Amino acid sequence: MAVVPPPSRRRKRRMDKVLEIVNIPLDWLEERSGLVGGVKYFLFRKVPSDMNWWHTLGSATLTAFLVQAGTGVILAMYYHPHPDTAYESIRHVTHDVTLGWLVRGMHRWGASVFIILLFLHMGRVFLFGAYKYPRELNWIVGVLILPLAMLEGFTGYLLPWDQTAYWATVVGINLNGTGPFVGPLLAQFLRGGDEIGAETLTRFYAMHMLLLPGAIAGLIGLHLYLVVRLGVSSPPWSPEAAGRDREEPEPSGSTGLVRPGPRGGRPRGE
Amino acid sequence: MSRARDERRTQHKRYKEDVEERGKAFYPYVMFHDTVMSLVVVSVIVGLAAIWYFTADEGSEPLGPSGSGWLGVLYEGKADPGTTSFIPRPDWYFYFLFYLLRIFKWPDTVVLGTVGVPTIALMLLLALPFIDTRRERRLFRRPVALVAAILTIVSMGVLTYKGATAEEGTGATGDVARWTQENNLPAGEAQEGAQLFAESGCTNCHTYLGSGVANLGAPELSSIGQSIDKARAKAYVANPRAFGNNVMPVYGETLTDQQLDQIAAFLEASKGGG
Amino acid sequence: MPVVIAGVVIAAIFAFLWARDVMTPDRPAALAEPEPVPTVSSGEEPLVERFPRNKFLELTTLGLGGVITGIVTVPILGFAVLPAFTGKELEGVDLGPLDKYPEGEWREATFLLDPAAGEVSRRTAFVRNNGEKNGRPSITIISNRCVHLGCPAQSGGPRQDDERETIKTEQAELTLTPIQPANFSCPCHGGAYDTEGNRIAGPPVRALDRYKYGIVNGNLTLLQPYSVGKVDGEGSNAMIKAYGLQGPGEHVDGLEAFLYPIQAQDLE
Repeated sequence: MAVVPPPSRRRKRRMDKVLEIVNIPLDWLEERSGLVGGVKYFLFRKVPSDMNWWHTLGSATLTAFLVQAGTGVILAMYYHPHPDTAYESIRHVTHDVTLGWLVRGMHRWGASVFIILLFLHMGRVFLFGAYKYPRELNWIVGVLILPLAMLEGFTGYLLPWDQTAYWATVVGINLNGTGPFVGPLLAQFLRGGDEIGAETLTRFYAMHMLLLPGAIAGLIGLHLYLVVRLGVSSPPWSPEAAGRDREEPEPSGSTGLVRPGPRGGRPRGE
Repeated sequence: MSRARDERRTQHKRYKEDVEERGKAFYPYVMFHDTVMSLVVVSVIVGLAAIWYFTADEGSEPLGPSGSGWLGVLYEGKADPGTTSFIPRPDWYFYFLFYLLRIFKWPDTVVLGTVGVPTIALMLLLALPFIDTRRERRLFRRPVALVAAILTIVSMGVLTYKGATAEEGTGATGDVARWTQENNLPAGEAQEGAQLFAESGCTNCHTYLGSGVANLGAPELSSIGQSIDKARAKAYVANPRAFGNNVMPVYGETLTDQQLDQIAAFLEASKGGG
Repeated sequence: MPVVIAGVVIAAIFAFLWARDVMTPDRPAALAEPEPVPTVSSGEEPLVERFPRNKFLELTTLGLGGVITGIVTVPILGFAVLPAFTGKELEGVDLGPLDKYPEGEWREATFLLDPAAGEVSRRTAFVRNNGEKNGRPSITIISNRCVHLGCPAQSGGPRQDDERETIKTEQAELTLTPIQPANFSCPCHGGAYDTEGNRIAGPPVRALDRYKYGIVNGNLTLLQPYSVGKVDGEGSNAMIKAYGLQGPGEHVDGLEAFLYPIQAQDLE
């Protein structure tokens, strides 16, 4: 009679068989593209052991952006970008389309959540000093994302073409118009003419749907690449901060060789 | 200069080594936190959307605003470029800029409020890594950074709050019923005067029982009846210039005698306190 | 018919030849050796590359690339930017018969500035008939768009909404409401103007814009809008310092006017 292997080893062998099967398409993809290796590198890379909940703000912002992108694409299937029909299309989405109220509500409130998380994330990075070497470029990329996101909000605000949309846009465009020298020309370009009209709505729609999300997505991609390449910084108060200066042992007797640090301490980690 | 550069590079190298030796894998340890936080974010968004929709009703007018719930209206009335009654407001995250525009109320300073301050702020943000080149990251050893952060957060918060609660001068006609009740305005001339007061834009400069705008320096009028009688009120409204007031319009030129009487009666009856 | 037979025969011949060719095994051909690549010798001769860098090819690649970029982007950018700057002359807007505007009274008129564009061109103006000057009607027509940032300014005084009139003209409908303004004020940031449109308080940078007008067949006709620096005097005796139309917030006179030298209308 054959020896039956104990249950744990049986389970392990079943697991191994499952993994073998799963790996077949993954290996096929990996050999032809190298993508699987890239994803594995991203997932299993080492990060400082003292990362905490403050570090989740960045990915939370990304989630909010993805919610906006997803709901936005769906809304675009029902929206009419013309002054005569835009308002009615929004009412239609809100009241008649199945779950339209939910998608529209998520898009509208997702915008506010996105902006709030952006500011919280920026504040967190500032307070952790994570804009310092070698992450200066990442900070700059992030600061460029901020006004683009606010412009997204501004251009999207016009689309429902209700009173608050129209007048907030009038004031917003005129605000741009007060800029020295190029202000009036910029305002003319945004309006698409001398007066706010159908051209304004369509170009705001094009900016909101194509130009700005494309720019933001590109910058986010660069931002993420830099985060993975440069690594995430430890919280500055952490006693185990990665990259912190180690205390050099005092050479006996000759105190002159040890350089005193600022205010008696050395900069903590990175 | 290059010693600083060498120090930075050494530190980064040490950082990489520390992470290799004693770091943890991103997945699942850190990704777990990220996922939980993302779930919170998505739930908040869905929750807000649901509350917004279910507490607001469909409006009654075909081109009018929807009903208003806990989170405001679902949409205002359809855009009317010729309106004379709508009061524009931006989305909440622009309230700080909106209030900044109310602060810069001298014509020569308008361009500062519209483009000057925001542009300077953005420049400072972009230039930050080049302004602060110290390696120090602990917050309490970065006094400039900490104070700047606190000042920025507090001022943005205050500006946003003030923008959110900014008084609206017009639209006061909806308040007449409340004024009548709170100030016990007698029927007849006084109540007619209240109606005139509300629709004539007086609250663009004056405040009255919580309505109106105060930032142009005109006095609060809810208790003006304690110090003024009908005759004096009528004379003042008809010709503020005679009383040394060079800003208030001369209503004697545009209002009828009866209208002046009604407004004066209203002001005399405004003795303040509910 | 003979063509078909000829075609079949030719096809059969070639099919046979092809099949025979496919089935004979390849002979190990004595392939000619390619010319030996010159390798580095013991240091006396310089290394010769197989594909030496060719300045001409480099320059033409970059040059043609630049040309292609230009061909694609210039029309796109032009298309995005230029149409905003091709102005359209506004036709006169019919504001109804002149006798709808009694002398000495104000009316708040709401009309379509460009009937072809529809509702989106609806505008409001404050109109007062000042009587006659030098034998011709003198009308004050003030735009309601505040010149701080464009919010709708409101008339400071009682309004008789129950006496509102709707007049049908050839082009569209317009609405007239009697008002008694003692000033005009803006609810956004506290701007205030007197009854000639001069700024009396708040952030507006100049006086309210006005419209030119004409009388056509007894009807008041609205013509081009223009910007105003200041108005001296009143009513039919008003002396108006007029400028070309500028956007809200842009100074027309004083120190800061130099900040706004170019208007879009200048480029049209």
